[in-house]
Amino acid sequence: MSTIRHRSAAAFWLAVPAGTWMLAAVVVPTLLIVWVSFWGGRAFSASSPLTFDNYARFFANAAYLRLIGQTFLQAATLMLICGTLGYCIAYFLVCKVRDARWRTALFLAFIIPFWTSTLIRAIAWVPFLGTNGVINQALMATGLTERPIEVFLYSMTGVTMAQVSLYTMLAAGPVVYMLASIPPALREAAMTLKAAPVTVFRRIVFPLTLPGVVIGQVLVFLNVMADFATVATIGGNKFALLGNLVLNFYEGSQLRFAAVAAVLLMGCMLAGVVLALRVVDIRRLGAR
Amino acid sequence: MPEGPMIAQLDLELRGVRKRYGSFLAVDGVSLKVEKGQFVCLLGPSGCGKTTTLRCVAGLEEPDEGDILIGGRQVTGDPPWKRDIAMMFQDFALFPHMSVAKQVGFGLEMLKKPRAEIGKRVAEVLAAFEIAHLAERRPAQLSGGQKQRVALARAMITEPRILLLDEPIGALDYALREAVMLELKALQQRTGISFIWVTHDQNEAFSLGDHVVVMNHARIEQQGPPEDLLSRPRTAFVAGFIQGNNVLRGKAGAAEAGVLPVETADGRFHVPIIGAAPAPGSEVSFSVRAERIEEGENDLPNRIAARCTTVEYFGAFRRHVLSSGSGVTLKWDQFGALPPRLRAGTETTLGWRTEDSVLHA
Repeated sequence: MSTIRHRSAAAFWLAVPAGTWMLAAVVVPTLLIVWVSFWGGRAFSASSPLTFDNYARFFANAAYLRLIGQTFLQAATLMLICGTLGYCIAYFLVCKVRDARWRTALFLAFIIPFWTSTLIRAIAWVPFLGTNGVINQALMATGLTERPIEVFLYSMTGVTMAQVSLYTMLAAGPVVYMLASIPPALREAAMTLKAAPVTVFRRIVFPLTLPGVVIGQVLVFLNVMADFATVATIGGNKFALLGNLVLNFYEGSQLRFAAVAAVLLMGCMLAGVVLALRVVDIRRLGAR
Repeated sequence: MPEGPMIAQLDLELRGVRKRYGSFLAVDGVSLKVEKGQFVCLLGPSGCGKTTTLRCVAGLEEPDEGDILIGGRQVTGDPPWKRDIAMMFQDFALFPHMSVAKQVGFGLEMLKKPRAEIGKRVAEVLAAFEIAHLAERRPAQLSGGQKQRVALARAMITEPRILLLDEPIGALDYALREAVMLELKALQQRTGISFIWVTHDQNEAFSLGDHVVVMNHARIEQQGPPEDLLSRPRTAFVAGFIQGNNVLRGKAGAAEAGVLPVETADGRFHVPIIGAAPAPGSEVSFSVRAERIEEGENDLPNRIAARCTTVEYFGAFRRHVLSSGSGVTLKWDQFGALPPRLRAGTETTLGWRTEDSVLHA
């Protein structure tokens, strides 16, 4: 419950700078993109008639539909891998590392790489994954393989490997927070009520961290859906997801199609978030 | 005495339990026997090891040394879920995501009872604890007293041999505590389940416990029925910790006819000897209960001059806090219905019979 009973007019003025910025930089451009996606005719001008033709032509192309499916599949794959790895990492950090200093040190080691930009981290994977890259050299040096494995770079496998490294923390972070907020007495109470550790996890710990899991899944989902840089650099322009399609249309000066792809991408992301919020009410987080 | 049949009578036995956290000794050689259906209170200041002892019994802590037997069976090393106990936690530790009914049925679910039986038992227990109307609520929607009942119902439904209670009413409003204490005592007597109740509140311990264990610095200072602890505190710590005792310290003189003269800064006092007499010249302490003291002119053998500093009126009695010539704080309790005799600032003399003083070990 909020303790602020009365909001003065001055309080609303405080929101004006941020509100103006959001309006000018996010809301208006988004509406413009939606508007452009409905432009008919041949001329790129504000006087174009509004039609559904662009969407009709987009959906008539099976390759584009397949691409939407692949984008969702890629997001689902990453949600599964990052969700599992992230939960394990979070559980280890919160429940298994007893020493507070060690926990801080490990947590820092875990998040420091994320201080650099996503693009740089994606590109940094290239010398690792290449046929002459670090991973292949290591594999050959240990004798596990005789010839370099080519599927790492310029393949969806490589893209997935890079994305797992990029987005696992997004899945782990909210779980760390939720796990840390469970009072130890709850597990102990369950144990004295004859629940063995696996049951304690299944019935007490996991349900209580579920909001963190869902938030992590939303973050991974949104990032994978919007990720064009990793796909472009690691995939070597041989692969494309919905985000890359926007860029391709844009670079080909097909601005109306770029707008259509962008609107669909936004629509997919919005649908995913709405679905997640139906599972967990984020607003109730921390209210416990 | 043959040990076999004795043990069968015991719900719990601790033999020399020792628990260390790094260099800190939390429990130092605690031995304790709890008879069937006994109400035992572990009493002591915070950090004295009473909660750690309780957690060792629950299996939540592993003792470094010593044995724990529940119902005569060795359980040292067994995890909590394999012990015939239930526990009530200080802040109740209710599961925030479960309804009251689900919560109370949890223990039976873990025991793999059939669903129909769980439903029936939960309904019975909720009715018995007068919380049936709360069945569908979540813990966040309950008051402190309601949470306490839910936690108790959740622990009692499995009918454990021993119920462990860690400051179970400490989180309740003061006004509610007395009623809850009476209810819990009645419940314990009705069910015959042994209660082990950890508290730092001596009123709780003495009014509830059949057997009170006073702990300090990881060790048991004294254990026994409340009357014993109140009338015969064995150490200066116990005497000082239990309200209403006057503790005096001095040098032992030469014992004569079972009475030890003790030389203090406030004069010489006579204390009956229990067991061997302390060596003359050694430091000793003894105590006298505040209600055993008489005020004013009299011919009692032990007398001390003091000045009244505070008078507290409790209804049943009036407590006078006084300061002796050497600065020792003294207490004198007077029956509350009598007219007041002292005010702050009054100079007087206190006295007591020799047999009313207790020599400490």
